[in-house]
Amino acid sequence: MVFSFIVIPLLVAAFLPLIGKFSKKLLPDVLTNAALAYLLFNSILLVKPIFHQGVIVQNLNWLGEKVNLQLALDSFNLFMLFTIALVSLCISLFSIDYLEHYGHKSTFYALFLVMIAGMNGLVLVPDLFSIYLFLEVAAVASYALVAFGLGYDELEASFKYLMLSVVASAFALLSIVIIFGMTGSLNFQAVAQGLQDLEARLVVGVCVAFFIMGFGLKAALVPFHAWLPDAHPSAPAPISAMLSGLLIKVSGIYALFRVIYSVIGITPVLSRLLMALGTVSMVVAALLALGQKDIKRMLAYSSISQVGYIVLGLALGTPLGIAGALFHLFNHAVAKGLLFLNSGSIQHITGTRNLEELGGLGKKVPVTAGTNLVGSLSIAGVPPLAGFWSKLIIIMALIQAREFGYALVAILASILTLWYYLLIQRKAFFGRVADRWLLVKEAPFWMSAANVVLALICILAGIFFSPIFKTWISPAAEALARGVQQVLMWGL
Amino acid sequence: MSNLWFLYLFFAALLIFIGIYCLLTMRNLIKLFIAVEVISKGVSLAIVATGAVKNNILLAQSLAITYIVVEVSLVATALALIINIYKKNKSLDVRLLSKLKG
Amino acid sequence: MAIQIILLCGLVIFSGLAILFKDLLKAALSLAVASLFLGIIFFRLGAPYAGVFEISVVAGLITVLFILTIALTKRGDEVTEARLVKLAFPVFFILFLVIDGLVMKSLLQKIPALPSGPEAGSFGQVLWQQRTFDLVAQIGVILAGVLAVLALFRKKEEDKDE
Repeated sequence: MVFSFIVIPLLVAAFLPLIGKFSKKLLPDVLTNAALAYLLFNSILLVKPIFHQGVIVQNLNWLGEKVNLQLALDSFNLFMLFTIALVSLCISLFSIDYLEHYGHKSTFYALFLVMIAGMNGLVLVPDLFSIYLFLEVAAVASYALVAFGLGYDELEASFKYLMLSVVASAFALLSIVIIFGMTGSLNFQAVAQGLQDLEARLVVGVCVAFFIMGFGLKAALVPFHAWLPDAHPSAPAPISAMLSGLLIKVSGIYALFRVIYSVIGITPVLSRLLMALGTVSMVVAALLALGQKDIKRMLAYSSISQVGYIVLGLALGTPLGIAGALFHLFNHAVAKGLLFLNSGSIQHITGTRNLEELGGLGKKVPVTAGTNLVGSLSIAGVPPLAGFWSKLIIIMALIQAREFGYALVAILASILTLWYYLLIQRKAFFGRVADRWLLVKEAPFWMSAANVVLALICILAGIFFSPIFKTWISPAAEALARGVQQVLMWGL
Repeated sequence: MSNLWFLYLFFAALLIFIGIYCLLTMRNLIKLFIAVEVISKGVSLAIVATGAVKNNILLAQSLAITYIVVEVSLVATALALIINIYKKNKSLDVRLLSKLKG
Repeated sequence: MAIQIILLCGLVIFSGLAILFKDLLKAALSLAVASLFLGIIFFRLGAPYAGVFEISVVAGLITVLFILTIALTKRGDEVTEARLVKLAFPVFFILFLVIDGLVMKSLLQKIPALPSGPEAGSFGQVLWQQRTFDLVAQIGVILAGVLAVLALFRKKEEDKDE
């Protein structure tokens, strides 16, 4: 059952180009959404067994042969799987209408599904080299998706993204190779055990530096962020939502913290370093976002800034901090997905993304404007929306750990965030309707529907914050906070 | 055997250095991708050599083969991108690609 | 051992040439020669299958792809590189060589490693039974590459870009 998270998207992706030959639109739409809905359903079904057992380790036998298809699922993985399935389902619903003018829907959906398979695989495998491989699966699909429009900007952004990200994964792989050389193994559990037995601070330090370089570039932490503000805005809107909402979190944050917490084990120095990196990203990117004219570029910088929050919370290492960061990860995935989809709607409606040209759209397109407001306020941290609670928890965790300086910076950065999101609202939606937008119409049904669903999740996760947090986020945070012990418990 | 490991890592590091130097300074898109290939040669040398000196050669060999498959898929994607850029630009100069700035 | 070091030096020299040649065709061919060296090194390290893959796929297939691209982008080698780059390369290279040597020498004693016994089984068993997941991921990567090429070389049905 767990294995289907990887196999089903791959299978559907393999058949989509053939299906696309005789059904250009309907069948690809239906199949993709059905596959993703199935994954979402499946991840909900898994909640109960995980709740009882704590961890599921699956070994598959294939035609009676003993093969090693090993998957490990604990509450942290499950949390990521659910987030991936939920957000990508909404994004693919949005794509039904949005992709009409790009053509070749089946190829698009196939790449989209391969990317999802890559992310699911990355989340599920308990093996260092397989992490690298699935990272590459998701990455290759994402290069093609960024360039999908085949316009000038898209190609350029995709090429830059490819160059940087290949170097990043080379560094991550190099560090995996060194660990492999030291412990003679690649399996999480064996490596964790091996590294505990060895006293190799210096070399492990080098490995961690490479991991931070590699995965940090994927997560666009600030010294390594240069590719993101190009790549994310250039892609088609659903892909921007996918990259900003999920890919940087799975291939950057999940991979980095899974390796650091569960395999290598966190140390105070490392925790300090990552907190500093997170804070720098948070502030620098928020300042850069203020000056942007293009909506999507502003959103892209905002992603870097919010990733900073998540890294800060996760690096703090207290259970409360991790829980807050994971909740923020979920909220940001939902809200940023919503906002990027929304920018797609705006582009669809008006044909431009330049904030200076927009204005007064609020009266003309109430659904788009309303959902955009919800998403913006959620990320900016306005109560009672979900983003407020997650930021509050991160800040509370910082205060609890007596990190007052970081807490202050986090509060200031969230004020900056609110500022530039209000800028979007004011320039795009409020005020007098400019003459050229008098005849605009609301976005097509599926686009609006996806936006509304995501906005509802933002609101509901805010209102039912305490049960969600208790039953779902806290176990995931505990699984991560137990660190190396958790992996040793897996019994691979 | 440990000394040998460092000898190979030394050469792998040299290859990676050559690749990164080229990536940072050169302007031709195809040249840049050749640099990526050089880096990946360094990485695959590190994989196989690590396996060989640590008595894990069979495992390392299968990792190296998998890595080569990944490389092929990357090369195909990147060269397709380069050909597309050339069609739009009629040039391979990376300096023409400065419309978007980080 | 001496042969191995000569092979490694050859690998580095041809990789260096691959980035220094102005003519892209020559650069691609030196890259292929470098792969050839790497393949032989793999073979001598006891990884014959990886060596064969390196020579047939990287030196063969990837070089063909490179040459195809170079042929399709005819005026590509008119791009002028900054002259300083090539002049500065030996300086940086030697600098890095020294640093690399020193770092590796100082790390020499520092990396402890778990003792490992000889591996059991054959290569086929390791690949199919221990690393089965890699094969699944390989299918994913190949699929991604094929789809990427399909997407990037598609004919635009109707050009309604903006």
